[in-house]
Amino acid sequence: MPFEADNEILQDFLIEAGEILEKLGEQLVELEHSPTDRELLNAVFRGFHTVKGGAGFLNIIPLVEVCHRAEDVFNILRQGQRVIDGDLMDVVLKVTDIVNSMMDSVRDGEEPEPADAALLARLTDLAEVQATNTDNDKLADAGLSDQPQKRRDAEKDTVEEQFEELLGVQGFSAVEGQSQSNSADEVAAKSGKANDEITDEEFEALLDQLQGGANTGSNNSEKAIESKAVPPENSQHEAIPSGANSESPIKNAVNPETSNTSVAGEKNSEAKKAVIAKDQSAQAHAETSVRVDTKRLDDIMNLVGELVLVRNRLETLKLNMGNDEVAQAVSNLDVVTSDLQSAVMKTRMQPIKKVFGRFPRVVRDLSRALNKEIDLELVGEETDLDKNLVEALADPLVHLVRNSVDHAIELPEARLAAGKKRVGVITLSARQEGDHILLTIKDDGAGMNADKLRNKAIENGLLDPESASRLDERECYNLIFMPGFSTKAEISDISGRGVGMDVVKTRITQLNGNIEIDSKEGVGTEIKIKLPLTLAIVPTLMVVVGEQIFAIPLANVNEIIQFESVRKNVVDGQAVAMVREHPLPLYYLRNWLLRDVSSDAVSDDNSYIVVIKIGVSHIACVVDHLISQEEVVIKPLGALLHGLPGLAGATITGDGRIAIILDMPSLISRYGGRIK
Amino acid sequence: MQVKVLVVDDSRFYRNRLCEILASDPNILIVGTADNGREGVEKTLSLKPDVITMDIEMPIMDGISAVREIMQKRPTPILMLSSLTAEGAQSTLDALDAGAVDFLLKRLDKLTYKKAEFSGAICGKIRALGGSSVHFRKQALANVTAEIRSSPRRANGDRQAKSLERGEPLSEKFRIIVIGASTGGPVAVQSILSALPSNYAVPILVVQHMPASFTGSFAHRLDALSKLGIKEAEDGDVLAAGKVYVAPGGRQLVLVEKGGRPLVKIRDSYENEQYKPSVDITYKSVAELYGKQALAIILTGMGSDGRDGAAFLKKSGSVVWAQDENTCIVFGMPHAVINAGLADRVLPIAEIAQQLALGG
Repeated sequence: MPFEADNEILQDFLIEAGEILEKLGEQLVELEHSPTDRELLNAVFRGFHTVKGGAGFLNIIPLVEVCHRAEDVFNILRQGQRVIDGDLMDVVLKVTDIVNSMMDSVRDGEEPEPADAALLARLTDLAEVQATNTDNDKLADAGLSDQPQKRRDAEKDTVEEQFEELLGVQGFSAVEGQSQSNSADEVAAKSGKANDEITDEEFEALLDQLQGGANTGSNNSEKAIESKAVPPENSQHEAIPSGANSESPIKNAVNPETSNTSVAGEKNSEAKKAVIAKDQSAQAHAETSVRVDTKRLDDIMNLVGELVLVRNRLETLKLNMGNDEVAQAVSNLDVVTSDLQSAVMKTRMQPIKKVFGRFPRVVRDLSRALNKEIDLELVGEETDLDKNLVEALADPLVHLVRNSVDHAIELPEARLAAGKKRVGVITLSARQEGDHILLTIKDDGAGMNADKLRNKAIENGLLDPESASRLDERECYNLIFMPGFSTKAEISDISGRGVGMDVVKTRITQLNGNIEIDSKEGVGTEIKIKLPLTLAIVPTLMVVVGEQIFAIPLANVNEIIQFESVRKNVVDGQAVAMVREHPLPLYYLRNWLLRDVSSDAVSDDNSYIVVIKIGVSHIACVVDHLISQEEVVIKPLGALLHGLPGLAGATITGDGRIAIILDMPSLISRYGGRIK
Repeated sequence: MQVKVLVVDDSRFYRNRLCEILASDPNILIVGTADNGREGVEKTLSLKPDVITMDIEMPIMDGISAVREIMQKRPTPILMLSSLTAEGAQSTLDALDAGAVDFLLKRLDKLTYKKAEFSGAICGKIRALGGSSVHFRKQALANVTAEIRSSPRRANGDRQAKSLERGEPLSEKFRIIVIGASTGGPVAVQSILSALPSNYAVPILVVQHMPASFTGSFAHRLDALSKLGIKEAEDGDVLAAGKVYVAPGGRQLVLVEKGGRPLVKIRDSYENEQYKPSVDITYKSVAELYGKQALAIILTGMGSDGRDGAAFLKKSGSVVWAQDENTCIVFGMPHAVINAGLADRVLPIAEIAQQLALGG
């Protein structure tokens, strides 16, 4: 069983194989564009080769089987004995899928299912049909023509034995090694004598002189080390002059009786320096990275969170104490804490490439299925964001990209008819903007028609005609994020069931991000997703309702208005606040969050309206007081409160009190009824 | 003194496993790792390892190119880790051509089940190569010196050699030549065979320690480089003058007489036979069939295979030559033969080739 294997080793394998497979996905799609790129073919070959090797070590036979065959196929390909076509690519991509799912099984500690026999056979075909062309096989066939199969089997066995035997031999080699080193020393001594005055060290030095390139003349060891850092192209150059310069040291070596005693001495000391340098660089080389369980990082992050809370508490106390020295110390603590916080956050960062990497494949498969021609451009793959975010983003992004391929990009003919290039372009980009990450998915497809969207929303009973007519274009586009909204006439396999976009929206909101869409008919569509860099710390607006403090994630807050400046009204039995001539549904948070509501506890005039933005809707929420904007660390709620709609977590405020962090979308959908 | 090793392999997984194994040997010090050939070359220059383990398939620069460059810039004994395929055999032989001294099959599953053996094998090889590291570099320097001064320094290893009459054609004395070799052998054998003329007067047997999947490729390659007809020996081959028969890996090559003609017989190896193919077994068989009319040559290699066989040959009156210490990658098998007093001559490899070429 593979899984008795040392867990360390298994993890090591999973990590490396995972990275390789991720790259493989991209490389394969790239390969379809440039099918004869030898570097790429080699890279894919090596990928399967390495995974096979690791799997062999862990004795995961099904994985070895499949990778071995894929490796064979690419060996044929890279030798130019077969050319990649779409079918071969389909098979190979299927293989990567299977390998991926096998890896998942291994990750879960299960023995993976053997791959489909038909697929294996297909691979064998792809690898062997033309394999008979190789010289080796010709040779083998010629030599073994009598009983090829039997012989091959025998060969397999004997190879095995042979290896065992080679191993057996090693009993000797330890001994031999010893005697060898002795004899080597003897030789060293002998030849030293033969040449009369050249010692080993001098020899070493001469060799370095001769072959090391730059360390000729009086270079010291630092320079020698520096010269190693010279880029490879240059080392070629160095080799040439060193060859030219080397003549005299060699003459010295061979005709030692000439005037080289001093030279030899010099070389000697140089050699010693080199030895020291060697040791140093050997030490410097020691492993520079360690693998850390993410659980441990989570713990550290949590502790830093606690520290942030204590810092906040001290900040508050500082104001009360009015002691300069304490204030000074707390300020320092503030700085250090912030640095620590960002340093720890950095340890959790991963490039978004991890998610982006899968898209070339997604787009390739889909456009093939839909007969579309699409180029995918990836921008800013190196942008880092929190590991949890990277993982959480994967599904929503896949959905959006599939949507773009399915709905946005037109068929090649339609594109040509519209005067566009035949090949559509989808651009996926990421960049950091301050404390946010901005992701955009942009296509040059058909774009959206605001009126169509309006009608659709009315048809599906999501909006009444009047409110629909009040939406501006942008708001119309954002209708697609509403539950139950789908414009595609026929429901396709790929998207269009109308369950996707609102789920995407919800997910992004859960990540404290927001999503916006903009489009121009005939030109294309752009979807923008804004996300915080990390999930663990959220900027919030602290408000007071009744006696309690609540934190509203800033991502949901659109604006804050004094209640007295707003007109109240009732429409259809729903209280509304007129904000700049727009009626917004009006709710009193105290009705939802407090137990004994005395509605007159705070007069409306002294309270505030926080305008919450959820998707396209804006909602006015009444709170009693505002405290401040504060970065808080989210602490999970206890078991009793966990899972209550509207509550995202809790935190400790600067003055040591506990504040509930509100999950506005779920709070409103739970208590607010249907929002129009 | 610890052997300083540089590990070059593009798989981090494999590097880690290899380092674990090497680190368990107190005589071995890992001075660095590199994940491609280019980095391997650079680290060879900066870290000056005694021995390098080298993977073949790597990005940026493959193992063979790296070997070639290292042999130019800082000759260092390199142990290739090869895969067990025809492809692997080709690449490994290429690497040996480029200057790598030895190879070991990269059998990762063996690592799990036979970890102790594999560890023994690799650590043993590295210790042995580490011991010869300085020697190796001197040799490399000697070669460079020779090239620059264009007059080869005479090797001084043949003090105990009895001289054979110059000009006396070997073919009048011998009816067969049989060569045995191990570590460093492929290149040595190649240098001999490529020096011989196409109309060579006697058949030649080559017993080179090698896995089964390698000997075919090896023979094929020798054939391409030599004027002689060279093949992997097959059961039933009739020995012919000017032809070279390479003993297949994993099995044993012996000779039998049939109708007054010597025939090749390839048999499976027995449990207790340590080497497959074994130089001893073939030598012994040659001794039985050819009596005093054989010339046996023992070349570079670890261990002592060939010594017992050489004893049989000597007893029946044949002649044994051994490669000298200076030109051996590993002075093991020739050493064993010389120590047992069985060597008629001890010669540098170039001279063996020269003598055979003149004599044939």
